[in-house]
Amino acid sequence: MPRRGGDEDDDDLEPEEEGYYEEDEPGQLYDEDEEEEEEEEDRRGSSRKRPRSAFIDDVAEEDDEEYEDSDEDYGGGGGGGGGGGRDKKKKTKKSGHEFFDLEAQVDSDDEEEEEEGEDDFIDNGGADLPDDDDGRRIHRRPLLPREDEQEDVEALERRIQARYARSSHADYDEETTDVDQQALLPSVRDPKLWMVKCAIGHEREAVVCLMQKSIDKGSELQIRSAVALDHLKNYIYIEADKEAHVKEACKGLRNIFSQKVLLVPIREMTDVLSVESKAIDLSRDTWVRMKIGTYKGDLAKVVDVDNVRQRVTVKLIPRIDLQALASKLEGREVVKKKAFVPPPRFMNIDEARELHIRVERRRDPMTGDYFENIGGMMFKDGFLYKTVSMKSISSQNIKPTFDELEKFRKPGENGENDMASLSTLFANRKKGHFVKGDAVIVIKGDLKNLKGWVEKVEEENVHIRPEMKGLPKTLAVNEKELCKYFEPGNHVKVVSGTQEGATGMVVKVEQHVLIILSDTTKEHIRVFADDVVESSEVTSGVTRIGDYELHDLVLLDNMSFGVIIRVESEAFQVLKGVPDRPEVALVKLREIKCKIDKKSSVQDRYKNTVAAKDVVRIIEGPCKGKQGPVEHIHRGILFIYDRHHLEHAGFICAKAHCCVIVGGSRANGDRNGDSYSRFGNLRTPPRIPQSPKRFSRGGHPMDSGGRHSHRGGRGGHDGLIGTTVKVRQGPFKGYRGRVVEVKGSLVRVELESQMKVVTVDRNFISDNVVVSTPYRDAPRYGSGSETPMHPSRTPLHPYMTPMRDPGATPIHDGMRTPMRDRAWNPYTPMSPPRDNWEDGNPGSWGTSPQYQPGSPPSRTYEAPTPGSGWASTPGGNYSEAGTPRDSSSAYANAPSPYLPSTPGGQPMTPNSASYLPGTPGGQPMTPGTGGLDAMSPVIGGDNEGPYFMQDILVNARRSGEDSVVGIFREVLPDGSCRIVLGSSGNGETITVLPNEMDVVVPRKNDKIKIMAGVLRGATVLDDSLMRKYFYAVKRWVTCVDLDLKRWRWQPEMMKLLGNSEEVGAVEGLVADSQQRWLDIMKLVPKWDITKKLGDLGVEDGCWVLAN
Amino acid sequence: MGSSNVPPAQIPTSFGHELRACLRCRLIKTYDQFRESGCENCPFFKMDEDHERVVDCTTPNFNGIISVMDPTKSWAARWLRIGKFAPGCYTLAVSEALPEDLKNLCEDERVQYLPPKGV
Repeated sequence: MPRRGGDEDDDDLEPEEEGYYEEDEPGQLYDEDEEEEEEEEDRRGSSRKRPRSAFIDDVAEEDDEEYEDSDEDYGGGGGGGGGGGRDKKKKTKKSGHEFFDLEAQVDSDDEEEEEEGEDDFIDNGGADLPDDDDGRRIHRRPLLPREDEQEDVEALERRIQARYARSSHADYDEETTDVDQQALLPSVRDPKLWMVKCAIGHEREAVVCLMQKSIDKGSELQIRSAVALDHLKNYIYIEADKEAHVKEACKGLRNIFSQKVLLVPIREMTDVLSVESKAIDLSRDTWVRMKIGTYKGDLAKVVDVDNVRQRVTVKLIPRIDLQALASKLEGREVVKKKAFVPPPRFMNIDEARELHIRVERRRDPMTGDYFENIGGMMFKDGFLYKTVSMKSISSQNIKPTFDELEKFRKPGENGENDMASLSTLFANRKKGHFVKGDAVIVIKGDLKNLKGWVEKVEEENVHIRPEMKGLPKTLAVNEKELCKYFEPGNHVKVVSGTQEGATGMVVKVEQHVLIILSDTTKEHIRVFADDVVESSEVTSGVTRIGDYELHDLVLLDNMSFGVIIRVESEAFQVLKGVPDRPEVALVKLREIKCKIDKKSSVQDRYKNTVAAKDVVRIIEGPCKGKQGPVEHIHRGILFIYDRHHLEHAGFICAKAHCCVIVGGSRANGDRNGDSYSRFGNLRTPPRIPQSPKRFSRGGHPMDSGGRHSHRGGRGGHDGLIGTTVKVRQGPFKGYRGRVVEVKGSLVRVELESQMKVVTVDRNFISDNVVVSTPYRDAPRYGSGSETPMHPSRTPLHPYMTPMRDPGATPIHDGMRTPMRDRAWNPYTPMSPPRDNWEDGNPGSWGTSPQYQPGSPPSRTYEAPTPGSGWASTPGGNYSEAGTPRDSSSAYANAPSPYLPSTPGGQPMTPNSASYLPGTPGGQPMTPGTGGLDAMSPVIGGDNEGPYFMQDILVNARRSGEDSVVGIFREVLPDGSCRIVLGSSGNGETITVLPNEMDVVVPRKNDKIKIMAGVLRGATVLDDSLMRKYFYAVKRWVTCVDLDLKRWRWQPEMMKLLGNSEEVGAVEGLVADSQQRWLDIMKLVPKWDITKKLGDLGVEDGCWVLAN
Repeated sequence: MGSSNVPPAQIPTSFGHELRACLRCRLIKTYDQFRESGCENCPFFKMDEDHERVVDCTTPNFNGIISVMDPTKSWAARWLRIGKFAPGCYTLAVSEALPEDLKNLCEDERVQYLPPKGV
């Protein structure tokens, strides 16, 4: 090895080699080495102890190998390398011989022999080598200091104890090594890992280059190792004690960009190195999926594996466009339609022949099977046989669906072959698949078709009590040869697969496939016997996909709505809200916008208020005469459930005014109570005007419900009804409420704050409240509106006056609703932000309080990526700045409702478990930032108000999976928000709770609005302008910038700052500038900021204010 | 070579598909390099003498590369248990285990062999 390598190597290496091979003193080198040794020892502080103790430990832990290796390290290889090191080794060795002669003797002999062998083929044919070695040892020995010897004896004692305490040297015990591994966890004394950017696609090259450089430069290069991970593009890791070493090593390598060097926190170091060895376990009949090309995602079955060439032959259902193929084979021009992927279809040879495609029938020399060869593709029985690289298929966790397997079964093929292919399905069986008492059938081998019952399960073998007489009492059968057995009439429950949860009665058994009559749908479903257990349970089966459940009212993509009347494996049947005729649509999950689950009410033909659960009768239309409880109400349409109605799961859709409430006016008081209690949960404005008159009056969000006690329209003619008024006199003075009834000179007012209706003199109220402050009713947040007096002077829209003196608006704690607290306020930080910072700080490694070997819990958030630099620093920024900001670390670990839509979930620490290709910090945003922090009152609590602003784009996620983009319009008095759907704001207006929505993360060229800080409310035309602005004020790194960076400017910020160390420097700037900004902004009206910024050197036009 | 005393192993001459990793010590070199000069850490495999051995003892299925400049001081090398091998390029993990006969050979040679996890 060294020779060959050395020949091409630089001269640097030459003397070293000589030292190695020619045993006699490498004189001049010696000094050098000693110097080095000293240096090393200095650095380690713990002096020379370390190499030795390491050596001893290792011997204790591991085995013979250590001898050999350490010999290489300190002895054999030590000739040129390190005189001191070798000396130590020699002595150790010697003493070793003294203490445990026998075993050690054997060991060392062994390894010497081996060494000899190694040297042998490298160099001189030397049985004299060991002798030489010995001679060398003796020769060197006097150089050793005495006390060392003493220490060594002790060490040896320990070593011997350790050694003999263990059973024997021959155990390659897994367990012990696991424990040992723990002992190897990085400590503060170890070199650190640094993450360095490199050219994409050149990761391996980069680390190999570093290796080469290290060989060329010798000990000059102080890095210890360099790592390129297969799943991490654009970055490599370098292990070194100091960042400077990393930079030095990377100098001159064009593939490595070392301007930015990020430290990997110590607890994440092991993650970097733990890659799962991809166990490729491919064998015949394994189900796999294609990863690339036309067949991407398709199920395939392995028919042959070539491990040497790393190729597999798979069997697929062809996706071939015969027409195109014919044209191509005839040399005609084929228009390539890229987007078009032909559907999977079995190859029909006759059809191909009809198209004059040449079909050759050939015999495969290896297998003896005949294949049809068409244009170089091999077909057999309609299947395409394709040989592909192992890398282009995935074989992990392949769970073919029932349908796929059905398709894969060649038409006409009976179940025989199917059984064989089942074996791979069985491989996915969980432990405890069979339990005592299960009825089973043997599907393979001599006992095939034997039925029986499980008696005992032993690992892979299942003992069954056969049904047939004359057989032994129990038989042991391999689990893989068994299949569960059911008979028609059994009542079963599906426990896995797409139909999981369904129950029903077995009506037919086809081999391993059962046909079950579902309890819920009364339909036949086909399932694998394997997925089923016998059960008397009757469940509703699959009634849910994602957030949508059977009988839910949902809003569809095209703004139509309907009730889910059936849940299929991947789609819903929805009875649409079209009253005239029943219209059923098959809807995919993604086509559903959201669930409509608000409670609304309408009026029936006779103006009776109809709410959900009221029983109505249809008096007009196709379903005339039917009656049942109202399940859903939406836009004047009722969905009535009539269990006698046999279609559409009993649902009938009818217009509200075609129905009458059954039982007429139900007890009024009852209703009132009801309405009040519901009122507490009120959060939606009516969508259905109760009467035109009212509507003309209102449009006010408070004008909701319509469930007020007046009936028959007596007071309905009074224009006052429904308006929000303020009581000017009397015991309720100052209260505000809504007029629900007018009786002569008295009005009954529903007080907003007290949830009760009081009677007041009409002259005691003023109704101009509505006019003057249309939506500035005192906030009534959900049900928490016990606060009697709403300080209505607290503006709901602080963003309109971003420059307001922060002190002007006191924060009323009582005003905060639980909901708000949840959404905006801080989750208790898991760790003080300062700690995070320190983790990343080389100087304070030892203090890292969260060092949890094995399973670092929060690596996603605090990872050594460009993004994470931030995750760990800004918290510090703020606290340093002295701004009250207890939520500063919330974004680092916020388990927030915003999480799903925040794109920050990218794995920051690239470990194979959470591997997303090519995204180390590609979007280095911190999860949970999406709005959370925009809220934090960074500037003296100035932003205590809804952080959503008018005209910003939000994602509303109304208890649905898919979020809807809309434009935020306003906060309603009850705390919910009104949103106009559609990104251009031309859609329907809906109401959502603040915690059901979050702001849309801006993309490049999006117009943005500043959400927090002193510039809150300002609109910035686009990203590039903002960036300009950002650079312009980089000296003034204000909270504004920091807030923004959490959206988008983080990478820029990083570029700007170089690395995390410098962030520390910026902290000071922040602290300083924040105050400065405050000072400036306090005095300057909004429209003057431009000027002020100009004074500060910010280019005009770099930013624009919203009007 | 840092302050390590062992001469470095050969450095892979390419970075692509030709790379193979020794199943015992996880050293990475190209197929040709293994064939011509065997594995520096596992000379007893005698890959240079028996070219068939190269296929048996090495694998193209590995995950990640680590260049170990200084095995004695590198934490990573220690963690990966390659701290006692020659400096050189190694892989973080191989996906195959040694064939039985070669495992026996390791035992005969009294060298430790740790099969990869999960195989």
